[in-house]
Amino acid sequence: MRKRALFSLLVPFLAVILIAGLCPVAGAADIKIGGIMDTTGATSDVGKDYALGMDEAFKWINEQGGVNGKKIKYTWFDYGYRIPEAITKYKLLKRLGSIVIMGWGTGDTEALSPTVNKDKLPYVSASYSAHLTNPAKTPYNLFFSSDYSTNARAALTAWFDKKWPGKSGFKENRKPRFAAVYMFASPYCSAPIKAIKDQATMLGFEIGPDQDVSLFALDTKSQVMALKEFKPDVCWHGNTTMSVSATLRDAYGLGLGADWIVNNWGYDENLPRLAGEAAEGVMGATPIAFYGQNYKNMDIVVAAAKKYNPGVPQEKRLIRTPQAWGDALVTWEALKRADKAGDLTGDGIMKKGFETLSLFDIGLGASPITFTATDHRPTTGCLIQEWKGGKFQEVERVDLKQRWPEKWAKEWLGW
Amino acid sequence: MSSVWLPCGDYHENYLQDQGWWQSNFVKFKMLLLLAVVFIGIPLFAAEYWIGVGTMIGFTAMGALGVQLLIGYTGLITLGHAAFIAVGAYTSTLMVLQFPWPQFMVDAGLAYPVSVIAAGFAAGLWCVLFGLPSAKVKGFYLILTTMAAQFITVDFILTQYVSQIGGRGQAFSLPPGTIKIGPIVMDSEREIYYFMAVLLTLMIIGLANLLRSRAGRAWVAIRDNDIAAEALGINIVWYKLLAFFVAGFMGGVAGAFWVSNTAALSPEHFPFFLSLWLVGVILIGGVGSIHGAIFGSVFMVVIMELLQMAVIPMGDYFPKLLIDFAYIKDAAFGLAICGFVIYEPNGIAYRWWQIKNYFNLWPFSY
Repeated sequence: MRKRALFSLLVPFLAVILIAGLCPVAGAADIKIGGIMDTTGATSDVGKDYALGMDEAFKWINEQGGVNGKKIKYTWFDYGYRIPEAITKYKLLKRLGSIVIMGWGTGDTEALSPTVNKDKLPYVSASYSAHLTNPAKTPYNLFFSSDYSTNARAALTAWFDKKWPGKSGFKENRKPRFAAVYMFASPYCSAPIKAIKDQATMLGFEIGPDQDVSLFALDTKSQVMALKEFKPDVCWHGNTTMSVSATLRDAYGLGLGADWIVNNWGYDENLPRLAGEAAEGVMGATPIAFYGQNYKNMDIVVAAAKKYNPGVPQEKRLIRTPQAWGDALVTWEALKRADKAGDLTGDGIMKKGFETLSLFDIGLGASPITFTATDHRPTTGCLIQEWKGGKFQEVERVDLKQRWPEKWAKEWLGW
Repeated sequence: MSSVWLPCGDYHENYLQDQGWWQSNFVKFKMLLLLAVVFIGIPLFAAEYWIGVGTMIGFTAMGALGVQLLIGYTGLITLGHAAFIAVGAYTSTLMVLQFPWPQFMVDAGLAYPVSVIAAGFAAGLWCVLFGLPSAKVKGFYLILTTMAAQFITVDFILTQYVSQIGGRGQAFSLPPGTIKIGPIVMDSEREIYYFMAVLLTLMIIGLANLLRSRAGRAWVAIRDNDIAAEALGINIVWYKLLAFFVAGFMGGVAGAFWVSNTAALSPEHFPFFLSLWLVGVILIGGVGSIHGAIFGSVFMVVIMELLQMAVIPMGDYFPKLLIDFAYIKDAAFGLAICGFVIYEPNGIAYRWWQIKNYFNLWPFSY
């Protein structure tokens, strides 16, 4: 009897699923955009705010009339930073008719890159890996920000320009010592390592052994102790905020004495909250303004956040929201241009949309964005900021193309 | 004795008939129909998305068959099978990318097929290595040694060393056109599906044949009572290791196949959850049956897809459902395992067996 009762419940349930599942899923929206976000996985400490920002941006864009009057239907999933899940979700979004995908991590973006190329589906990611910037290899991968390698080169250069001359080692006329701390296994963390070591070599640094710190790390004392043996002057941290702050606290507690430069996903408003005094003097790559900073279009971002997600306190919002807007706004502009040219195919969105952008200004303190058919590095440099005296302060806006034009043009594309 | 009751009045007269592939003309017709559906119906008439779902079912089934052999037929519980799939995937990818193939082999599209076979052997041997403790330990302790395979292989060796080969420090990416079988370049869902269907069919035939052989009987004897099996003269260490090798081989081939589906690879493709998932698949499908691995794979992949389809229209009203679907899926997986363990502990395969027997014996099913 019990089994029969179970079946009488199970059969209608499965039938409903089957009917709903096989129903046509296309809605009335004119333009479908898909999203693959991480709000619960390894990078959720920065992913939640980004996902909220992206959703708000598309709502706001629709309020402005969408893409030349066509509304955008934005469907997004949390994939928990699990690559197989990202692949499944990508296929689903493609099936739903998405013409652009807003992606997230480096691992899944790079893993999906061959598929994206095959499908000719523009993939605008929150991964700014330089490996995605060479259109000869990854023609459908894009993002609005300076890439990780540019961030890393710029951060090290800014430290070398502004901080190194004030150090005792400089006066002793010895080489500055550099070490990199990151999660070896994470494609995001490891993406700019070759570039930053190349930059360190070029600037005359002595390079120490890398330290492996997990994205989930809460205790990094052994890595800091290993760093102490090398006595670095400056360390690069390539993780996200949570493990960066854990490392900063341990380095502060154990008296490492090195300066820190941090990649953009490890450098946000939460860093001083989590690291406390240890965050003082920490420099980081900031491809866009911090949330609420006084820049063009920031009022729109803040108003949309208040309107669409009033339950999220303003003081909890991060630079991740403007970052999401950066990707959304650049996609919006590309779609408008491609639509005006009457070609919303993947190829059309690239050639008549993204690759027509030249020094395009999205506001929000971001550098002007340019894509060409041969170069998908959106910007040529990055603003480096420092947490000092309770606020973020500008250190230097490093323009790599201006300083090393030959290398920028001929050597540094795609890594 | 055959596992299926024959229709009333039909009897086997000798052992060969009892173990025959085609127990009756109806069985032959049924299997040919199934092959027609798999090889003609689905690839020709299904939408590309559903062909992709079929490929996922096949990948899951290939992995689950190895787990079924270890757990269901030999009684060796494994929680590290994702590691052997990973070894296969990395072996194949590295061979395709790094091995100095003679040009004629590349031109003839032999590099990838050879790498698939090599992947099977590499994963099989790797699996034997982690199966060695089974000579001394069993049950709960063996579970821990297989878990060690997962952590040592994926989290340590593949992550820290193998994925750094070539100085990438990121996902291995196979350029378009690299994965080629003979003249066929694997660049569409349909080709990948066909490849999966061929591999899975070969694996099922191979495993079913092994299970009918001396080795198969030895495995079942070890599962049922290893001390009695040893007393009967079965070399249990040899047969346990053979089971590990065959399971690893199938996992390795599954991994090599996975590469053709994604064209990119990183250690994150093979989390511990995949090992758990495969055990869940055979629990739901039915432990100790090849059908079980297939049914479990179909059930887990298709039900999850349909659940997802059902959630999408609701997304407009309950956006959280859509956003958190990955976790709804995990919860559904857990719930399905609980449901099956409580209400149908023998899995879907047992229900299928009952249905078949009911019709075979009809109208005298009592």
